[in-house]
This record gives sequence, structure tokens and C-alpha cells, in this order.
Amino acid sequence: MPTVLIVDDHPSFRATARLLLEGDGYVVVGEAATGTAALSQAEQLRPDVVLLDVNLPDIDGFTVAERLTREGAAPVVVLCSSRDAADFGDRIERSGARGFVAKADLSGDAVRELVS
Amino acid sequence: MIGLHRALVLIGVLAVALVGVAVVLAVESEHIEDPAFPTAIFSVLLLSWTGVGLYAWWRRPGNRVGMLMTAAGMATFLTAFQLANSSLLFTFGLVAGGGLFFAIGAHMLLVFPTGRAETPLERRLIPLTYLFALGIPLAIAMTSPDLQLEDGMEHPENAFLVVHDQSVGDVVETVGGLLGVALVAVVAYVLVRRALRAGARERRAMSPVLWLGAVMLVLLCVSFMFDVPGDGADDLEEGIDLAALLCFAALPYAFLTGLARTRSWRAGAIGEMLEALGQAPGRGGLRDVLRDALGDPSLRLAYWLPDRRTYVDAEGRPMPLPDDDGDRVACEVTIDGRCIGAMVLNRRLAEEDPELVRAVGAAAALAHERERLDAELRARVEEVERSRRALVDVGLAERRRLERDLHDGAQQRLVALSLQLGMVEAKLDREPGKARELLAGARTEARAALDDLRELARGIHPAVLTDRGLAAALESLADRAPLPVEVEAVPGERLPGAVEAAAYFVVAESLTNVAKYAEASHAEVRVGRRNGVALIEVRDDGVGGADPSRGTGLRGLADRLAALDGRLEVESRPGEGTVVRAEVPCGEDGA
Repeated sequence: MPTVLIVDDHPSFRATARLLLEGDGYVVVGEAATGTAALSQAEQLRPDVVLLDVNLPDIDGFTVAERLTREGAAPVVVLCSSRDAADFGDRIERSGARGFVAKADLSGDAVRELVS
Repeated sequence: MIGLHRALVLIGVLAVALVGVAVVLAVESEHIEDPAFPTAIFSVLLLSWTGVGLYAWWRRPGNRVGMLMTAAGMATFLTAFQLANSSLLFTFGLVAGGGLFFAIGAHMLLVFPTGRAETPLERRLIPLTYLFALGIPLAIAMTSPDLQLEDGMEHPENAFLVVHDQSVGDVVETVGGLLGVALVAVVAYVLVRRALRAGARERRAMSPVLWLGAVMLVLLCVSFMFDVPGDGADDLEEGIDLAALLCFAALPYAFLTGLARTRSWRAGAIGEMLEALGQAPGRGGLRDVLRDALGDPSLRLAYWLPDRRTYVDAEGRPMPLPDDDGDRVACEVTIDGRCIGAMVLNRRLAEEDPELVRAVGAAAALAHERERLDAELRARVEEVERSRRALVDVGLAERRRLERDLHDGAQQRLVALSLQLGMVEAKLDREPGKARELLAGARTEARAALDDLRELARGIHPAVLTDRGLAAALESLADRAPLPVEVEAVPGERLPGAVEAAAYFVVAESLTNVAKYAEASHAEVRVGRRNGVALIEVRDDGVGGADPSRGTGLRGLADRLAALDGRLEVESRPGEGTVVRAEVPCGEDGA
């Protein structure tokens, strides 16, 4: 089963996303509340997928995505936000992330669609 | 000033007493046969110099001329000792009488009319004058056995004689005489130069004194040279003596004439100024006219804003007045005892002629007041513009904060709620137990979202304020605060909506700060209304030391209040708690 790291500063969203993804056949290997924690945990846990919130308190999600995808054996990054994708223009593409899921539309299938 | 006045009267009384002493000396004198003439002349000289000197001293205490003229007048008394029968007094009168008067008189002329030596030459001349005028006669007296008043006249002996050799005396006389002539020539030159250099207006007032002074000094010196060696009297010498005496006697009157001319010049100057004022519209007009009238091109005007208790310039910008000890000085201008502004000018000008400065300030007071109203308006407009810009910034910042609060709060909870409901939907048929569990979580999330939204709405505008008024709104703030808060004396009647809202947010922000930073055990909230102004006060017993310029919250509040013509004050000494005070105009009491 594919492994996931959930990065979001809102604990209620992390908890819900974990429940949802675990119910949909993913193994949640870790949670991070900041960009810095995300980078170190990704390094350590080597997840297949990183579900990454755009608005983080320290480094913004695009920058985190760029750093995560710079290496060869990089995880697949899926950006998410409660805002609309249109708010971010081409920044999602330029960041090296595989795609974007609106938080309200999050599901194992939505992630799987982007990853495959 | 009463002290000075009394002292001057005492000096006047003393002068009259000295005349009495001189009369006694003259009557008792064994070497003056007809005392009437010299006594009369002596009295006139002493009284006129002292009298005019005292008058000038009284009118301009800051100017040394009056004091010096008084001193010169009093010094003439020493010549009366020439009438004394005691040889010691007689010789003293002969040596010191003419010399001291000469020196003080020259000093006065050297500093006329400002009371101050203007150039290094003048400053050096003053001590030299005293040294020569007293030293030369003394040296002559100590070395001339033949020292006498007039040829063949019987009088007491030279009590100061030390060297009984007339040939030494002759050398001292010659050298002393030459030195004296040189000094007088330099002093006379300085006076003439000053008379020529004075401005056209001043020359009319100054020149009689300076010219007469120069002539008098020369004559005095010549007469003094003839007298002391005792070459014997002749017609020329008597003529010179008489001319010197006449100049001597006339000088105080020349001085008075100068004063009168100054006064008429002053009236003329003020007249000209008032005329110029009529033709000097626009900003800077009054300032330029006053610069001309007072002859101070660096003069600046300050305008008093009573509301802000501060001086501003013509642009309405704050203008601090100079310190007391600098070379600039501020002269307050008042109308009916009410301060309207100040003229900032050269200290010397203000000290030399305070009367002129006062007169010009008073004559221009109405124009000053008109410009003050202008400056006040400008200051207000600037304040309004500043607070308007600040309000726009505050508005933007508030919207950003609202967006962030919505995003971080209710929106996240609704996202979670939506996801949870999605999961419930998926599990409803196959795992109803799990679905029920998820539903309970979803309900908690929905409740939390509602709480967030309520809090947010209260931050925008509290419903309790609209519905139940300030007192109830403040009570609810106090109830929600994490420390005991006492709400006292809130006016029962409703205030204008904007004022109530401002008062509410002042209290809300202050209580938030108290809870966050003050480490207080207790806070008090007080709202009063006095003379159409609502006063809001939040006081805590915490650690103090709050800096209102640091927090954006209080600054934003200050701008909100400024838009309502109100103001915010924070008093927070370390260790003494914090008091936040706000004042907002709220219309007439009971309205």
C-alpha cells in the first residue's frame, strides 16, 4: 500500500485526512504542521506521496514542493488548499508538484488519480 | 522689577544726599573763596547724569548704558573732595574724581547704545580706559611735588607724594600725558566710526550722544592734562575747561533727545509696519513685515494651538520653541491675556529693546491671530488627511485579518465537516456503526465552526452593542475576560453609534492586551461623559511598561479615534500597571 505524509497546520484537517486516506487504502506514515518539519520528515520517512497544504506558517507550500521534488528519488507531491486552484495560477505547475486537490474534494481516489 | 525700582529710588536719594555733602565741603573749604559757582555746576552735573542714567536704567534694565551713566554721575561726587581741607581727601579727589568719571563715561560711550562692546577693539579699550584714567593721575600725584589746582592757589598738600624729585615728575607727566592723548584719540575714533556706521534711522537717535561724547572726551583729556601738571592758568585753558564742562552737562540731554527720537522712530516704524501689513497677504507675509520692522532677518513666527497645547509653524507642523539659554529667544504674543503665538528672534534684540519687541508684537497681534487660525486649519487638515490615510490602512488590515480568521477558522472546520460527511455517506450502508461515530465527530466540527463564526461576527460588530447598548456590551466583554474585570459607571443613555463602537473596541483591545501581557490580577473599566466628551478608561494592576507605539492594535484604535476627533493616551510606567484613556467627542450631554 502506498505511504503518505500529511502536511497541514490545522490539526482537525490532518485528523480528517488521515481517517479518509486510511479508509481509502493508504498508509499514513506521518504528519507535519510546518514546512520545515515536512522537509525533515520526508527525508526520514521516504513516503510515496506528500499531501501538502499551500498555506503553511513558515515556508509556503510551493517552496516546500520545489525542495522535495529536486532530488531523483523524490516523493510525489500533491498540493491542497481550501482555496480554489485558480487562485494560484501556474505556481502549482512550476513548483514541481504532481497536481492540486481542493480540500473539500479530498479522497483516496482523487489522490490516486493524480499519482498514477 | 519692584526690587530694581526701589534700588533706583535709593540711588536717586543718595545722589541728592551727596550734593548736600558737597555743599558742606564747599562751605567749609579753606582754599575755595567763592564756593557758589563750582558747587552749582557740580550739582547740576551730578544730578543730571545720575537722573538721566536712572531713567534709562529703569526703562531698559537689560541695557547697561543706564547703569553706567548713573555710575558716571555718582563718580563726579569724588571731585567734590578737591574742596576738602584734609590733604588725603583733597589728593584723592584730585586723582580719582576726574579719572573715574572719565573712565566710566568713556565705557558708557563705548557700549552706547546697545550696552555691549561690539568689536574686540572696543572690548580691549574698556579696561585700558580704567587703567589709564586712574593710573596716570595716580602716577603723576606720586611723583610731582608741585601738584596743585591753580597757580598760586593755597590748598592742602599732595598726600600721595612718594618721589620728591620734580624732574621724575616731569617725565611721568609727559609720558602719562602722551598715553592719555593716545587712548582718548582711539576712543574718539571708535565713537566716530560707530556714529558713521549706524543705520540711517539709528543714526538720528545715536549721533548726538556719540559726537558730543567724542568732543567731550577730547576736551576732558586736554583739560585734565593741563590741570594735573599745574602749568598755571591761562585763557585757553579756562576756555577748554568751560567747553568740556558744557559738553559734560549737555550729554545727558543729548541722550534724552536720542531716546525721544528713538520713540518717535519707533512709532514711525510701527506705523510703517501696520501699513505694510495691509499689503502683505499670503503665508509668510506677517513674518517678512516683522523681520523688516525689527531688523531681524532670522525672525520666525510660531502659532499656539490650544487644543494640542503646542506651537506650530505656518504650515501647521510642530515647532518647538528655543531653549532659554540659546541665542534665540521666544517672545509670547497675547490678545486679552490669551496666548496666540510667539516671535522667535535674536536674543540680543529682545534684551536690548524689549519695549520695541513688545510694541511690534502687540501691534501685529491681530494679523498674528489671523495667521494662527490659518495654521490651525492647516494642522487640522493635515491631521484629518493623516488619519484618513491611516483609516484606509486600518480598514485594509482588518479585512486581511478577517480573511485570515475565516480561512484558518470556520473554513477549515467546514472543510473537515464536508470530508467527514463524505465518509459518512460512503460508510452508511456497509458500516453503520462507523458512520454514526463519524457523524458525532462531524457534529462537533459543525459546532466549533459556529463558535468561530460567532466570535468573528462579534469582532466585526458586536450584536449586543447594537441591541442592548454599551453597558451590556462591556459587561459581556468583562464576563469573557480571563481575569476579574469591574465595569463602573457606564452612562445609561445611548451614545452615537460610532462613539459606542469606538468605546467598545478600546475596552476590548485593552482587555486583550491586559490578558496577554500585563500579568494583572484585576482590571477596571470606566466610561464617563463630561462636556460633550466621552471618556473611556481601562486600568489594570499589572506589570506596566506597555509601549503603545509597538502594538498595531492600539495604533489602529488611535487612528479610529482620531477620525472621530478623539484621542488615545496610554500611561504605563514599569511596575505601576497600565491605564488606557480615550476621549471621543459625543455631542451635548443629555442629547
